Amino acid sequence: MPRTSNKIAAARQLFEAEARPHLDGLYSMALRLTRSPVDAEDLTQDTLVRAYRFYDRFEAGTNFKAWLLKIQMNTFVNRYRRAKRERQVFDGPMATPVGEGVMSRASMRGLTDPVGDAQRRLIAREINRAFEELSDEARAMVLLADVEELSYKEIAEVVGCPIGTVMSRLHRARKQLQVSLQAHAVQLGIIEEDDDDVEDPIPLEAFRSRKALKS
Amino acid sequence: MSCKLVRRHLGAFVDGELDPATQIEFERHLEACPGCQEHLAFESSLREQTRASIGDIHAPDHLWGRALHRLDEIDEARAEHTSLIHVRPMRWRQTWPIAAAAAAILIIGGVVGLPQSAEYQGASMLQDVVNMHSQGLPSDVRAEGPQDVVRYFQGKTPFTVKPAQFEEPSMKFVGARYIKVGARPAAALYYNHGGRRVTLLVFQSPEIVQNAQRTHVGGRELYYYNVGGNVVTIRRHEGVNYAFFGDLDRPVLFQLAAGARVAY
Repeated sequence: MPRTSNKIAAARQLFEAEARPHLDGLYSMALRLTRSPVDAEDLTQDTLVRAYRFYDRFEAGTNFKAWLLKIQMNTFVNRYRRAKRERQVFDGPMATPVGEGVMSRASMRGLTDPVGDAQRRLIAREINRAFEELSDEARAMVLLADVEELSYKEIAEVVGCPIGTVMSRLHRARKQLQVSLQAHAVQLGIIEEDDDDVEDPIPLEAFRSRKALKS
Repeated sequence: MSCKLVRRHLGAFVDGELDPATQIEFERHLEACPGCQEHLAFESSLREQTRASIGDIHAPDHLWGRALHRLDEIDEARAEHTSLIHVRPMRWRQTWPIAAAAAAILIIGGVVGLPQSAEYQGASMLQDVVNMHSQGLPSDVRAEGPQDVVRYFQGKTPFTVKPAQFEEPSMKFVGARYIKVGARPAAALYYNHGGRRVTLLVFQSPEIVQNAQRTHVGGRELYYYNVGGNVVTIRRHEGVNYAFFGDLDRPVLFQLAAGARVAY
């Protein structure tokens, strides 16, 4: 069956060429999701296997990385965690409300322009710590948006929720990260505490009434 | 445009996710507002620091090779599958009217003692597994609660038979049958996978995996044999073998076997 095997070989070659550049991204995401190098390898491998099996369903012209990450996210949700409970915690009444002006001006300045490599490294470590404390959902948001730099639309597809939900989840995740970061940075003396300039939290209605925002 | 609104949506602004008109309004406000400029600098800087802090991870060197190995298996299975379709349609139709045309069998086997050489026993046992699938004997117990099945096999088999459960929603338990593999009691569990019959044989025989090929799927260790163009996949759990056999693609069978649970 030379024709069949040629066809298989051609698809294989194409797939390898497309997938290889995203291996680090997939593994990085897998590691962040599973928090275990062994599981991360398995998850990455399963993702590639599934992607290869369903390669004919990939729509040419769309973002291949987003497609891979979507498969990985589904695989992760199905296999490595009990999705429902955590999602309820994140979306339900237990979700921590996050105010707007929690970041003081002095904190912002300290974190915006770290002085010297030592401080830079210290902040990097703190970012990692704050990131690890986030829920799975929030970490996924930060990874997809800030590290993988997917668009909101792509994230919505990867995670399987509306774009508006992506916006609010991402916002909340970033705020949680910032709050946690600031609290520790003050404790560690990386930045000075400063109570001025604290604003009132914006009510949710104000956010919902955003009309001009892209949907 | 208020500072509050701008700061609230600064993230989306930095992401470039605002519509063009709003984007321009934001830019206009930011030009004139030092306070918001500071917020913007912070937002952008933190974004970069986040990317640098948590994004710089590289996959281990061997991972790509490992994945390619799995892709090889898929290619092989596809080539085999294709040739099956070409060579065997008539036989299928003759032997299996309609429902059986798309039949697949998942076999959970019981334990079998091996009086002869392990290798010979293994081969004949595998043949039993395949035959068991082909005959498609009716169930002794219908799909009832798992506990009913456990009770049915009590005293019949020297080990507890527990129907495997699967994450795949398309995998439905149909029924079970008491059988002999070799000369030893075993259990055949019938499943339906999206319209295809799957048989799972439950049996005890440490020897059967000795000459099997080994692989890892989803963190599970699987053993497998190639039998006449198909693959028998075996998972061991608490000293009991669960042998999956079918006309399914090898990766599908592996996924099913890896995803099976008997944890009650």
